Amino acid sequence: MSSAALSGVRVIELAEVWAGPMGCTLLADLGADVVKLETFPRSSMTRPVVEDARVGAGTGPPYERVNVHHHANRNKRNIAVDVRAGAGAEVLRRLIAGADLVVESFSAGTLERLGFGWESVHAIQPRASLISLAAWGQDGPYRGYRMFGSGLDAMVGHHLVRGHPGAPLEETAPAVHSDAAVPLTVVLAAVTALALRDRSGEGSWIDLAQVEDLAWQLPAILGEWTASGRSPPRVANGDRDLVPHDYYRAAGGEWICVAAEDDSQWAGLAEAMGRPELAQEPHPWASVAGRLRARVDVDAAVGAFVAQLPPEEAAERIQRHGAVAAPVLGPAGPLQSPQLRARGWLRSTSHPHLGRREVGGFLWQMEPDAPAWERSAALVGEHNAEVLSELGYSAAEIARLEASGVIGDRYGAPER
Amino acid sequence: MEVLGAVTMVPARASGDPVGGAPFTGLRIVELGGAVASAAATKRFSDLGAEVVKVEPPGGAPLRRLRPFPGDRPGPDVGAFHVALDTGKRSLLLDLGTPSGREVLGRLAAGADLLVSDLPAGQARTLRARLAEGESGPSTVWITPHGLEGPFAGRRENDASLFAWSTRAFNQRLPRAPDRGPLRYAPFLAEVQVGATAAAVGAAVVWARSRDGVRRVVDLSAVEALAGNVDSAFFLHAMTGTSDTYPRPSDLGARTYACRDGHVLMLQVDREPARSRVRELLGAAGSGAEGERPVEDSLRSWLTARTKQDAFESLQRAGVIAAPILDASELLSDPQAAARGSYVRMRHPSLGETTIAGPPFRVASGAGGSWEARPAPAPGADTAAILSELGYAPEEQIALARAGVAP
Repeated sequence: MSSAALSGVRVIELAEVWAGPMGCTLLADLGADVVKLETFPRSSMTRPVVEDARVGAGTGPPYERVNVHHHANRNKRNIAVDVRAGAGAEVLRRLIAGADLVVESFSAGTLERLGFGWESVHAIQPRASLISLAAWGQDGPYRGYRMFGSGLDAMVGHHLVRGHPGAPLEETAPAVHSDAAVPLTVVLAAVTALALRDRSGEGSWIDLAQVEDLAWQLPAILGEWTASGRSPPRVANGDRDLVPHDYYRAAGGEWICVAAEDDSQWAGLAEAMGRPELAQEPHPWASVAGRLRARVDVDAAVGAFVAQLPPEEAAERIQRHGAVAAPVLGPAGPLQSPQLRARGWLRSTSHPHLGRREVGGFLWQMEPDAPAWERSAALVGEHNAEVLSELGYSAAEIARLEASGVIGDRYGAPER
Repeated sequence: MEVLGAVTMVPARASGDPVGGAPFTGLRIVELGGAVASAAATKRFSDLGAEVVKVEPPGGAPLRRLRPFPGDRPGPDVGAFHVALDTGKRSLLLDLGTPSGREVLGRLAAGADLLVSDLPAGQARTLRARLAEGESGPSTVWITPHGLEGPFAGRRENDASLFAWSTRAFNQRLPRAPDRGPLRYAPFLAEVQVGATAAAVGAAVVWARSRDGVRRVVDLSAVEALAGNVDSAFFLHAMTGTSDTYPRPSDLGARTYACRDGHVLMLQVDREPARSRVRELLGAAGSGAEGERPVEDSLRSWLTARTKQDAFESLQRAGVIAAPILDASELLSDPQAAARGSYVRMRHPSLGETTIAGPPFRVASGAGGSWEARPAPAPGADTAAILSELGYAPEEQIALARAGVAP
């Protein structure tokens, strides 16, 4: 049984890359019926038509085997429609007529130019809500500017505080945090729209500016300015108030996170290190202030201890004594986690072109109706016939749309 | 009239009563644990009109102890995380380690729609069992580091160690400085993301219950919430066997350039159509250089002659994806943030007037709805009022205070 929390809620996804698609996947995990309207005949950024590093080995065209696409597209149906063609726009119009939610991630103004701005959506289906994810929102001087999630951290002060003290700024790579955070807010916005509709009977247009959804998550950056008139320093993996607190090198060049958040955790850590005297009075490191004053030496002592052990073993030993420790997992790390395995988080899925895969599971577990992995990322246009016939198209009409290139289930060779 | 801290997301309708008010008016939420994750989760409800009761241990919630503080002087009511993430909540001090405290919680929970906890797993399991008795009571979201059950359920983690478990720290290591090892995000950002996950699923289960009557229990492992989301190296590996981090700056075509007063970040700058657009822009700016290297050099000198804001706007107008790299002092004066009211002023009892981030989204048109960040409560500000609402007589409240249960 899959989750029924949002069963009966019909969602149209007009979104590329990660934030919008992952948001719709989460709605689907909660039981919504999501139809992804795939760009056509141009393929989306996560659907390269030639092999590249993101494409896994398998059968069929490369755009069906891209890891960054699969990541954010489970549990949906897929149709590929050229909405710039008149007959394609009619498909979208019928979809909206039956929809509760439309999620779009175009730059501000683009959907309107396609003939499906809020006024049109509202006229087609007054009960439908439109969630718009333009990076800087729907108005203001930056309206229409383009950005990916990986650039928005720069606008909220996050880019400047990540990285190592004193290192050149050019060293800091962009983060893609907003691509992970915005999907969560898409779910909240969707429920907000549904709740408002319960009262009013009408849909809403939700303007979710990705940059504003980042800003509330970083209270310390603005807070340091409003409270003390300065920017917070870069601390890399440290904590200004806690010693020890860092990622350290364990045996074999792997990394481990170790932290002691108070005297009692420090006592546990010292015990695990086989040096209980470091936490016993009158040793200076027994106190918070003493450890802060001796940060470099404490780090060296912790580093020397964990350097002798593989990270999992060191973490296990430190945890047994009540302090914080965790291996820094690499890409394959979760496959080795006894916890993730015991909880059934790892899922075996199959895909026609990638075969059977053991993949990561859901963001939450739920009773009584747990989320289920009912569909891997659907193929391009896999549900064209099914969805269009639900919209009232006859088999002959669907064949005509396909023959005229308005809908399709494959992308052509790249243009030269 | 300016309303401090409030964003009316849609103007009142011309005729009749605006069908608006806040979207979650009438919802009752209980927050337990009071670390960053649960506080971030319930803020999303309180700012949208729900009544949130923050149940804090007698010493105050851990969130209150996080810096920064004004003038670097700590206080339970003035830390930036508390001020920004506890907006509009009521505070109840309660010792959940006692039967008397759990009795109060039982009454509070009985009238709630949703309970969000980031208490440790052991305590959470006990409370879950108690609250599960009977048909009524709230839907629940239990946030723990590793989930309520399993071999690691008892482990202590923090923001940095969760990030390590989730493959994110590995994924964020710097390709241009591999020896420096893994790197996390800004402190507590991972925990905020876990809280945002709890808010998403929490909102869904509350709305679902209004339709189907089903009371749901959500077991939210922070590691799973982080590792299962898109910014994780694991899923990419699982699908294709790659051990690369993604995205690398080269995947994004990302480069950081110096300007006269700071830096801009540019994306896809190494590919078309950005390359041609940059070339055109430089041509317009007086450079006729041809070829990749000279263009790169011209771009650098073009940028160093400009402020990052000028460069950003010129590049965007030319269709090149760019952003200025802002520091804390520049957030409030960003023209877009100023025009949209992305940050709001709030009058806080201890701080006076302060500024925090505004709404994560606005209802631009349609069914109405408003967002408002009201000041965060002092510890125990609402203890007496809440105990009275739960039916505790004044004598009983004195006795609960004397026993240290609800001081």
